[in-house]
Amino acid sequence: MMETKGLRTEEFMVNMGPQHPSTHGVCKLVLKMDGELVKEIQPHVGYLHRSIEKIAENRTYAQIVPFTDRIDYCASMNSNHAYVEAVERMAEVEVPERAQYLRVIMAELNRIASHLLWLATFTIDLGAVTPFLYAFREREEIMDMFEMTCGQRLTYNYMKIGGVNWDIPKEFVPKAKQFLKILPGKVDEYEDLLTNNPILLYRTKGIGVLSSEKAIEYSASGPSIRASGVRWDIRKAEPYAVYDKFDFNIPVRYNGDVWDRYKIRLDEMRESAKIVEQAIDGLPEGDIAKKVPMTWKPKEGEVFCRIEAPRGEMAYHIISDGTNKPYRVKIRTGSFCNLQLLPAIATNHLIADLVAIFGSLDIVLPEVDR
Amino acid sequence: MLELDPIFDAISEWLASFLPPVVVTIVKGFGTAGVVLGVLSLFVLFFIWMERKVSAHMQQRLGPMRTGWHGALQTVADAVKLIQKEDLVPSDADRAVYFWAPVVCFAAALMAYLVIPFGEGLIVQDLNIGILYVIAITTFTVVSLLMAGWGSNNKWALLGGMRSAAQIVSYEVPLSMSLIGTIMIAESLSMITIVESQSGPFWNWFVFRQPIGFIVYFIAATAEANRTPFDIPEAEQELVAGFNVEYSGMKFAMFFLAEFINMFTISALAVTLFFGGWMAPFPFLDFIPSWIWFLAKAFTSVFVLMWFRWTYPRIRVDQLMGFAWKFLLPLAFLNIILTGIGIYIF
Amino acid sequence: MNLVKQTIDGIYNLLLGLGVTVKHLFKKAITVQYPKERWEMPERSRGVIVLLSDKETGKLNCTACMLCARACPVAAIKIEREKNPETKKFEPTSFDIDTTVCCYCGLCEQACNFSAIKLTGKYEFSVYDKDRLQYDMDFLQEIGRDVKYEKKKKVAKKAVKKAAQKKKEDKAGEEEKSQEKSATKPSAKADAAAEDEKPADSEQKEESKTEDKTGDDKNEPDSSEESESKKE
Repeated sequence: MMETKGLRTEEFMVNMGPQHPSTHGVCKLVLKMDGELVKEIQPHVGYLHRSIEKIAENRTYAQIVPFTDRIDYCASMNSNHAYVEAVERMAEVEVPERAQYLRVIMAELNRIASHLLWLATFTIDLGAVTPFLYAFREREEIMDMFEMTCGQRLTYNYMKIGGVNWDIPKEFVPKAKQFLKILPGKVDEYEDLLTNNPILLYRTKGIGVLSSEKAIEYSASGPSIRASGVRWDIRKAEPYAVYDKFDFNIPVRYNGDVWDRYKIRLDEMRESAKIVEQAIDGLPEGDIAKKVPMTWKPKEGEVFCRIEAPRGEMAYHIISDGTNKPYRVKIRTGSFCNLQLLPAIATNHLIADLVAIFGSLDIVLPEVDR
Repeated sequence: MLELDPIFDAISEWLASFLPPVVVTIVKGFGTAGVVLGVLSLFVLFFIWMERKVSAHMQQRLGPMRTGWHGALQTVADAVKLIQKEDLVPSDADRAVYFWAPVVCFAAALMAYLVIPFGEGLIVQDLNIGILYVIAITTFTVVSLLMAGWGSNNKWALLGGMRSAAQIVSYEVPLSMSLIGTIMIAESLSMITIVESQSGPFWNWFVFRQPIGFIVYFIAATAEANRTPFDIPEAEQELVAGFNVEYSGMKFAMFFLAEFINMFTISALAVTLFFGGWMAPFPFLDFIPSWIWFLAKAFTSVFVLMWFRWTYPRIRVDQLMGFAWKFLLPLAFLNIILTGIGIYIF
Repeated sequence: MNLVKQTIDGIYNLLLGLGVTVKHLFKKAITVQYPKERWEMPERSRGVIVLLSDKETGKLNCTACMLCARACPVAAIKIEREKNPETKKFEPTSFDIDTTVCCYCGLCEQACNFSAIKLTGKYEFSVYDKDRLQYDMDFLQEIGRDVKYEKKKKVAKKAVKKAAQKKKEDKAGEEEKSQEKSATKPSAKADAAAEDEKPADSEQKEESKTEDKTGDDKNEPDSSEESESKKE
């Protein structure tokens, strides 16, 4: 990109993080820099390791759910969903249909909230501070809905094995409908502010290109792989819960650059809104949960179950030895695999681009470290 | 009627009545410097508050609300806090350079006000090379930023310092070139003459005769004042805080104040050179004092700068250079040529 | 030509962005001026944990059944209990919640059958001293005095209990097929019953004893609690 002949300058190492405004948590990137040019990137993870996988081995199945909230705190509903889905598949627990619908509503609302949060932080990475507050304004509505349903704004503990913990309150449906009505307009507003802004285009077009082959090689997932032209979404590929009942599109883009990853998330917000709308309209009456007793023990067995979280595939591999505690819980998260992409696509870019690329991959560090 | 100019004349006459001329000159010099510093400090306090409020309301927040009426005293509270702070010096810093950087920055920012006419007759010294002086003085800022970057002995700070050097060197050229058209029409480098040659109704202002020049000037000046979208030397998302990453307490405050003073400088210059300085838009509005017109125009310009800042993302460093050399500079040259043709024809 | 079009497009989009921000300049702020204005917390809000007490007698609803302590995923609840010689019911002698580890998941509230513990919409419990975040029984009762709640009805509770018992029977049957352990079917049933209603009825002394014996193979998270009940 910026080759200089004859004139050689000394390369130097810089620690970007663990305390740095753009590392979205506590990630340390050891950079080898030639002036502004990043020659080598080494992500150091582990600052947020809380050994949730090991803790899970010492907790009953029901007690693990609050821990799954804390894996990806920007999309706790999806983490919950992945875990309960896995346990239910392993133990063959039937879930009432209303609970399935509620799960989908919450997971999709959480996906919108997560993408809004991403938009907020991504624009901050690019230096625009105002869209941050706009995105948070809408996210706040979703948080309010969650709070009235389950009492918390971030760590919901909403789903449980066999169903959900709380039914939605009366005010939920009108509020959700109101929100879904205004959301497309608000997304248009972000687009007015950002999408075709020449500065943003300069900063994102053709930056950090991820080819589809490379994306598959690195087992990328989520919006990052869909921006590289791979139509891969678990909601369509291996429908779980009741996703096969809804009509929605999987937005796919083909350039694999930062701008595509930006645009694809905006499109996904619109699609998620569609799903929520259909789910609310088709919400069946009935039980919200199958009663599962406290000392519940599944049969011996093993399951690998994955769902589509906002940051890519989230998978649980659970092994049961017949006791009330799992023998092993392995968690696969989208952020961890997507973080590997960073050295592959961000080397030989300027440091400003590195920040943009890092932001566009949407990495949540607690999810990387678990 | 409410002009301030006679007040200063009266004071200097009164001083001359009982003091020898040498002392009067000295007293006048220090007095005006004090007045300018005081007025600017007030403006800066206001601008910081205004920046907070503008950004807050653009983001549907309220901003500071507790200290004084709508948080009007927030900046004072911050200043008090910053004064109380421990003055940290990094152990490996180049102490002299580290110490002098904020001083140079602040002084350079203030010196530009020697030639800026705040109103009719309200000018510290009407140099006949006014514009040249301003351009020369504002360049000093880059020295201070580079000093800060180097003196901190911090990689991020050094990167910030280098960026600011590269940026200001690039933008100084289109900035100077964009002013040449104005100078050609006014046939003077003196601020007073330039303002006076824009007298009459508002279509006599140079912005209507020099639209390209104004656009180039405004963009280049934004870059020169390190305001978003051109705030790459600070770029907190990339370089943490750039050149001032190691500064704390009052030294940081001096950089901070200098930034706001620079913002007002470029606004004041824009008003003087392109918007008729202290002139009223219509002659019948002359009953409003000239300094109010000047300040109203300058504050509007400051608001526009804030508006930019809270709307746009930051441009990347190499794109910024490219933009300056490949787009703004040719545009500035084009402006000079067009102005030359225009003067020849009319 | 392309450059001109690009420039015009760019300027248009820049102005569009400016339009969006200036439009918001005159909109009403959406933030809340916190200490002056406050949110009304939703009914289900999960904030500070309180112990609820009976409105008439002023006594705690807690029967020291240990279900909440067992349900807690982070072992934040520590209960000590004693049997009241008069009523022959268990009463808590100390009830500590370590709010520094509490994750406000609400599992304790779900586990409780006696409307004794509740996560409330209260917040603002910051203190300067970390030790003061260990809430004891008196404090928990005090902050729970003004909390409105509906006592879970006995009938409903019994129905739930029966349903649970039935399920447990099914489960127990399944388990026996897969892994035949020492526990016989009736005792397993008694276990389940004991666990659910042990403290409710004082007559079930014997059943609670059987629980102690079979406690080991039930893998309880809190082993201290077992030793407690063995002492009696």
